[in-house]
Amino acid sequence: MYAWIWRHLPGNAWVKALISLVLVLAIVYALFQYVFPWAEPLLPFNDVTVDNGMPAGATVPGGGMAVAL
Amino acid sequence: MAGTRIRGRIAATVSVVGELLITAGVIMALFVVYSLWWTNVLADREAKRQGSQVRDHWARQPAGPGALDTKDGIGFLHVPAMRNGEVLVKQGTGTDVLNEGVAGYYEDPVKSGMPWDKEGNFTLAAHRDGHGAKFHNIDKIKNGDAVVFETRDTWYVYKVFAELTQTSRFNTSVLDFVPKESGKTKPGRYLTLTTCTPVYTSDYRYVVWAELQRTEKVDAKRTLPAELR
Repeated sequence: MYAWIWRHLPGNAWVKALISLVLVLAIVYALFQYVFPWAEPLLPFNDVTVDNGMPAGATVPGGGMAVAL
Repeated sequence: MAGTRIRGRIAATVSVVGELLITAGVIMALFVVYSLWWTNVLADREAKRQGSQVRDHWARQPAGPGALDTKDGIGFLHVPAMRNGEVLVKQGTGTDVLNEGVAGYYEDPVKSGMPWDKEGNFTLAAHRDGHGAKFHNIDKIKNGDAVVFETRDTWYVYKVFAELTQTSRFNTSVLDFVPKESGKTKPGRYLTLTTCTPVYTSDYRYVVWAELQRTEKVDAKRTLPAELR
């Protein structure tokens, strides 16, 4: 897979390395900025409050208030 | 030469699967970095900004009883045993609030009392890890330790008298007006800290209870009470 990507990048080895680096940074940025913030509430690692078993981030109808996790 | 071609195809498939597995591993490692480091960077930055905003607000307001501004935060929590400086306290315990690197007072399932109430239980929650990890060192708090809550005009000095090192996440009775599990039977001016435990997970909740000892008026220089010096 990675070998295939490498073969299809344009330019000589240096250019390919540079493009690869930019691609990796772009992917890490996308993960930190969009994917992880989205995934985090779905994962059970960081609920800190006591509650009645309401789902994370649920809202009280009409109240418009975020419920404790 | 059909055999070689098939073998070549199998080898290619195996190597793609292997690369995908390595990629998955790297992404999970990055997620750990995100959770335990990057969210702290973001939350600490946000908490600092909001904290100085509250202090600015206090400085500009004329002395005397003013309207309580619950949106920006009601004050700062100081727990010397946790060695993490001051923690801004805001309304609510939703993720949107707590992810800003602050502690929140409960609105639900049990509405928190306020430190200035004659009787009640001031109940707070904050993250154990990530997003500022403001209650990370909650296990360092022992009986007799001081917990100080600072408002614009008053220092509320509490003393810790009970800990519950592990309880069910559904145990909302720890937030009660009179938290029975702490050993108290009569209403008083209590403070309850809650967060998740063990560290890096949220299977259980860790609870610390303190009781108000005294209050001190904030002077012009905001001299710290003896417990924080």
